[in-house]
Amino acid sequence: MTDYCLSGARIVDPAKNLDEIRDFWVVDGRITFGRHDGETENLDVSGKIVMPGLIDLRSHLHAPESLSSASAAAAAGGYTAILAMPDVCPPADNPGAIRLMEEKASKSASITFLQCGCLTKGSKGKELAPLGSLKEAGVVAVSDCPNSPQNTEIFLKGLEYASMFDLPVIEFPRDLTVSSSGVAHEGPTGLRMGIGGYPRMAEELFVQRAITISRNIQVNIHVSSISSAGSVELIRNAKAKGILITADTTPHHLTLTDEKILGYDPNSKTMPPLREESDRAAILAGILDGTIDCISTAHEPCHEHEKQVEFDLAPAGIIGYETALSIVYEELSLHEKDPFGLIAQTMSEKPRRILKTPYEGITEGAKADFVVFDPSKNWQYTVEKGVSVARNTPFDGCTIKGSVVATFSMGKQVYSAIEV
Amino acid sequence: MDVTQWHRKSLLGLEELSVAEIECILRQAAQFKEDVPNPERKTDHLSGKRIVNLFLEPSTRTRIAFEIAAKSLSADVISITGNSSSLTKGETLRDTAMNVQALGADAIVVRHSSAGSSLFLSRTIDVPIINAGDGAHEHPSQALLDMFTLQENLGTLRGKKITILGDILFSRVARSNLWGLTKMGAEVTLAGPSTLVPKQFEEMGARVSHDLRESLADADAVMLLRIQHERQNSTHFPSLAEYTTMFGLNMERSKWLKPDAIILHPGPINRGVEIDSELADSSRAVILDQVKNGIAVRMAILYLCANAVTCSHND
Repeated sequence: MTDYCLSGARIVDPAKNLDEIRDFWVVDGRITFGRHDGETENLDVSGKIVMPGLIDLRSHLHAPESLSSASAAAAAGGYTAILAMPDVCPPADNPGAIRLMEEKASKSASITFLQCGCLTKGSKGKELAPLGSLKEAGVVAVSDCPNSPQNTEIFLKGLEYASMFDLPVIEFPRDLTVSSSGVAHEGPTGLRMGIGGYPRMAEELFVQRAITISRNIQVNIHVSSISSAGSVELIRNAKAKGILITADTTPHHLTLTDEKILGYDPNSKTMPPLREESDRAAILAGILDGTIDCISTAHEPCHEHEKQVEFDLAPAGIIGYETALSIVYEELSLHEKDPFGLIAQTMSEKPRRILKTPYEGITEGAKADFVVFDPSKNWQYTVEKGVSVARNTPFDGCTIKGSVVATFSMGKQVYSAIEV
Repeated sequence: MDVTQWHRKSLLGLEELSVAEIECILRQAAQFKEDVPNPERKTDHLSGKRIVNLFLEPSTRTRIAFEIAAKSLSADVISITGNSSSLTKGETLRDTAMNVQALGADAIVVRHSSAGSSLFLSRTIDVPIINAGDGAHEHPSQALLDMFTLQENLGTLRGKKITILGDILFSRVARSNLWGLTKMGAEVTLAGPSTLVPKQFEEMGARVSHDLRESLADADAVMLLRIQHERQNSTHFPSLAEYTTMFGLNMERSKWLKPDAIILHPGPINRGVEIDSELADSSRAVILDQVKNGIAVRMAILYLCANAVTCSHND
């Protein structure tokens, strides 16, 4: 096993109240701050930032991505753990499916695969999945993402039942009764283009439902992929009243608007859809003031041919591992002089806390689990050179500020772009 | 001297056209209408060219008008409809279009239920694409023939007040007319029930009204749209009967119009729903003129796009 010496980096780990420039070593896969005189690979990372490994709260592991390509792409983006949504094939609604996935992951993954089980059988919203057995099989959360139980009683019972096992519930807030035909945000841009059907209301009604339920039965609910200004306001007000709600959004909802779909490019078709500048601004404000706890990628690979169809017929979803950190850094650095504490919180610390996964931190004796980020490096992202085998992203060809240069996961270096 | 040029090989919508380009098509259409008074007489402008009509949604008027237009220009016309194409066997639109291109089409006239499908095809293949209706997005040839008919009857479009009444939300005809008419200086009012005429259309330059009488009062022309009940679920309005009661145009209500105001309808008409039968057959209605003008306008579109020629005009 190679040992490493990392010199000159600024270490930012808000969970451990750590923010200082210090040399450290990775010896036998563990971090040490004490001088190590054995043979090491020396990584001069001065001017770079070392943060805890990122953890993604919404990953869809569809073809064409395999577990190994997904884990390589995630590592290239600084992720050391990803939460696999239950919309896999077969759906993650029984212990057998969870163990099968676990077995595949143990063979091919260089990072930690966490599994999210279905809240309802087949995520159909009709009857509860066996949540206790799923937990025993290893799931760390349950969700029907990218669906939501439309029947509120089922949702309510699911929340009550899951709380017995201390199992986090992730809600993808979408009221289908007002968005069943939705392919795009319902607003001026969509009206012009003759598409729409997915109004803000579809999300906000179900965010309000989650808040109301949480207030009444005092359970934690995490709402995923917030896209509308109204949702941000609802969550802000709920948190102010002490209601146990947490939320995440995505890098694309933080940086793009529905102007991006003007050319009907299915690579900009997402779920929830890209909305208006006022929404984007509210999401940014929500991240800055802590209303939105986390930023997740919503990484959703599609085959190229699946996206080479009419906009309304194309599947929603974009890939995001390799660009997430840079995009978030670029955007937040416009508004925060020093955004790294906030980035570490929203992309690592709080997602871990929501999933209640153990975390050792960048501390003496801890297993190496961190990302090295170079904020000064501008780079051009192209799907050609990307690690992911999927190519469905609106960020193809973008020049982005700040780049991941190395990722360590489970004690090993799993990604390196450092020129030695 | 005003020299206008036409450089586009595809016609995807009116939103992207300049006033000069719209005028170019309308002038060319006027010339064809004059030159070809007898539909039996063909010109040979598109002789040796293959025009493929790819109609993946039902159509009577538009498909036949494009066929007659192409044949009047001596093109060979092949028509493919949804049921007769390999799309029913799971082939994608992209593959169908690439095959049609490989088979030697010189232009493809496409109608499809997906908004943006024409743009998608124009980016996929090199053959000129004529949009004959893409979802609720645009139907440029219809709007151009409407504008042509309005111009014939009103003399000019500048300063004229045009009311488009009915199902605007799902209508590609309304969107194309809105772009075209406002570019040409007309004032457009979109009228109908609030669920089918959202206020946000004002951002596209229209006036929005839910008051039938008021929207008809000073109109120089009213364009009726069919209620596309096959597209909507029942939530947009209570019933067709209620629609007719509140927004249907009949002889009595036509008195709310100015005496010389005309009535247009892109068809198909649902007699007794959006317009009563007597009014549809009255002298105010120019509905069949629209159909006839549709041939000259589509000849102009095919001629200009298939040749991507320079159209010049001496004033």
